[in-house]
Amino acid sequence: MSETSYSVLGLFDTPDALMQAIPKVRAAKAGTVEAYTPYPIHGIDDALGLRRSPLGGMVLVMGVLGAITAFGFEYWISAIDYPIITGGKSPSSWEAFIPIMFEVTVLFATFTAGLGMLLLLNRLPFFGHPVLSSKSIKGITRDRFALAIEAEDESFDAAAAARILQDAGAVEVEVLPAPDRSPFLTSTYILRTLGGIFVACVVAGTGIYTLTKWFPLLRPMVNMQDQPRLNAQKASTFFKDGRGMQAPVKGTVARGYLPTATGTQDASASLVNPLPRTKEVFAVGRKAYLNRCEVCHGALGNGVGSLTAAYGAKPANLQSQQFQDYPDGKMYWAIVNGKNAMPSHAADLNESQRWAVIHYVRALQRAQNAKDADLKVVAP
Amino acid sequence: MSQPKASPLTYGAVALGAVGVIATYLAAGPQRFWANWVMWFVLIFTMALGALFIVALEHLVNAKWSVPIRRIPERIASLLLPAIPIGLIALGALPVLYPGTRPEAAHHPILAGKAFWLSIPFFSVRTLIAFALVVVGLTVLVGGSLKQDTSRDPAFNIKARKFAPAFMAIFALVITVVAFDWVSGLTPEWYSDIFGVYIFAGAFLSGLAATALSVLYLQGQDRLAGVRGDHLYNLGGFLFAFTVFWSYIGFAQYMLMWYANMPDEVIYYKVRLAGMWRYITIALGAMHFILPFFVLVTRDAKQDPRRLRRVAFLMLAAHVLDIYWLIFPILGGGPLLSWPELSFALFFIGGIVLWLRAAMEKGEDMPVGDPFLREGLEFRL
Repeated sequence: MSETSYSVLGLFDTPDALMQAIPKVRAAKAGTVEAYTPYPIHGIDDALGLRRSPLGGMVLVMGVLGAITAFGFEYWISAIDYPIITGGKSPSSWEAFIPIMFEVTVLFATFTAGLGMLLLLNRLPFFGHPVLSSKSIKGITRDRFALAIEAEDESFDAAAAARILQDAGAVEVEVLPAPDRSPFLTSTYILRTLGGIFVACVVAGTGIYTLTKWFPLLRPMVNMQDQPRLNAQKASTFFKDGRGMQAPVKGTVARGYLPTATGTQDASASLVNPLPRTKEVFAVGRKAYLNRCEVCHGALGNGVGSLTAAYGAKPANLQSQQFQDYPDGKMYWAIVNGKNAMPSHAADLNESQRWAVIHYVRALQRAQNAKDADLKVVAP
Repeated sequence: MSQPKASPLTYGAVALGAVGVIATYLAAGPQRFWANWVMWFVLIFTMALGALFIVALEHLVNAKWSVPIRRIPERIASLLLPAIPIGLIALGALPVLYPGTRPEAAHHPILAGKAFWLSIPFFSVRTLIAFALVVVGLTVLVGGSLKQDTSRDPAFNIKARKFAPAFMAIFALVITVVAFDWVSGLTPEWYSDIFGVYIFAGAFLSGLAATALSVLYLQGQDRLAGVRGDHLYNLGGFLFAFTVFWSYIGFAQYMLMWYANMPDEVIYYKVRLAGMWRYITIALGAMHFILPFFVLVTRDAKQDPRRLRRVAFLMLAAHVLDIYWLIFPILGGGPLLSWPELSFALFFIGGIVLWLRAAMEKGEDMPVGDPFLREGLEFRL
């Protein structure tokens, strides 16, 4: 019997014989004592002196961590990052978090239990345990009870171990060779695995592609395409007016954007332009003016625009004294509600664009009626 | 462990409690008296019924491990005998506490439709039927088991196993009567489909806790020879499982009502989350779930007699708080805890202790006639 022996198996006919042999074999201290039985035997953990599995503690810690993680995610999403009030509840309502906290707790706990047991504690993957290739394995999985003395180091004496087992009452003894512990993650293994996955993907991909191409009615999954839903910009029979997209209810106000200039023009005269006069604001105002106002009011604001002749209308001359004295608020009201032939621009310009346009119009007026004081020497 | 000397003290406590109980009716008014009375009726009845459920469950699933300790829940189930007269007296609370029995209920939009169901005669008839069914269960399961001690007739096991499924139906009916009539009937505008299960969870839990405590008490007197950590572990495991079950049902009921926010449902919790009741609700969650969960979660805790005893005490206290939390808010105002509540507690807890101590002294401590007793004693995890 060579030094490469991994373990010596002693077989017993009854669980009682096994239990009685365990203390004797352990006392001999010839190696790690391990038992293999067809079914669990009461009290064998204590007899073998197995230490308490740390799995329970791991599961508890991970379960608590799962609960905290879920709570953190939900709290962050619902209360901090994107708070939306649903059903009149506060965004940070813990009651709504509990079901998901429970799920994540269970998820973390079960994964810890499963993977921790398999990978950390049982040290899998470990292909071909020597006991599985022994002659006794059939008996062990059926009606015999095996006690193994496993080698702890090179000095393992298989003959001595066999003697100990026989003295302890084993009816049969078998010496097992050392397992093949050569690493299985070799480059060939990895290449073959990756190659196999690649080939499988190519075959499945081309197969599905060709099949759906040749037999377009044989779509593998139609539920996603044919669901009874409303499509953007498409007709639908669901609503009476036949539109898929419905206009917001009349009077709907966007969050944070209370409507302004809702009263009469005179009532709006007191509105104050909230924007500062900065380069950026003037750039915004200029762009909006050129896009939306210039065709009628003209590039200079004097009412001579490119479309004026075609319409025959007379847009306001913003350079006139009336409009130089016009309050900002009244101008704003006109942009929002329209005036005379001018349509409302509420849909085209948002609130800050409207105010920016007004700044720009003031700039045009001042440019056309410049005073000496306005001329400043600008350093080159 | 046992102190027979303590008995005069217990008798004294009961007598003092009895004086307080009568004084409550005279000084604090019938409302408070009946609220306390109904609470203790529900507590004693659910605990004894939970113990009887444990007995029936053992017969139903043919459990062997619990045979050596079966006599304990059988003795606790005998508390149903005093619970029935207490319940009959509690019928006096119907015109005082139960809005469905008042004449103005006939004009109430919700209660008018339930008028017949909530009326005093039909309410009493249901309760009497429930009591009769419970007596049947008690006679077959507990009486038969006691008879088996002398007759040693294994036929009882077969009979009990056949009766157990029928008892489950009886149990469901009776616990529903307790839950919907006696507890939920106090707030008849409010309804919850799961309420019967909620009361069941509390009943089973308190039955288990009382069983665990009595087992430990008898073990302390070296009377249950052969009952060991493995049996305690199962009791602890059940306790652990059903604290979680109770919380699951309780929270599920709360969350659905909280989400839907229907006025007639959510008012139940609105009352219990206002003022001082809010702290009682939080304490209930802590005592009934968080504390026992973390105390019982380890394997050792379920086998360790000292820890198990503490948790069992805690669970009984939590059950008292649970029923108090269900019943007392209907009186309006903050939580009441003063001499009337204390004297009721003295009277009834003292009574339970006296009854159980007398029951524990009678007859065999184990079902010695049960053919599975040896198998149960050999039970190992």
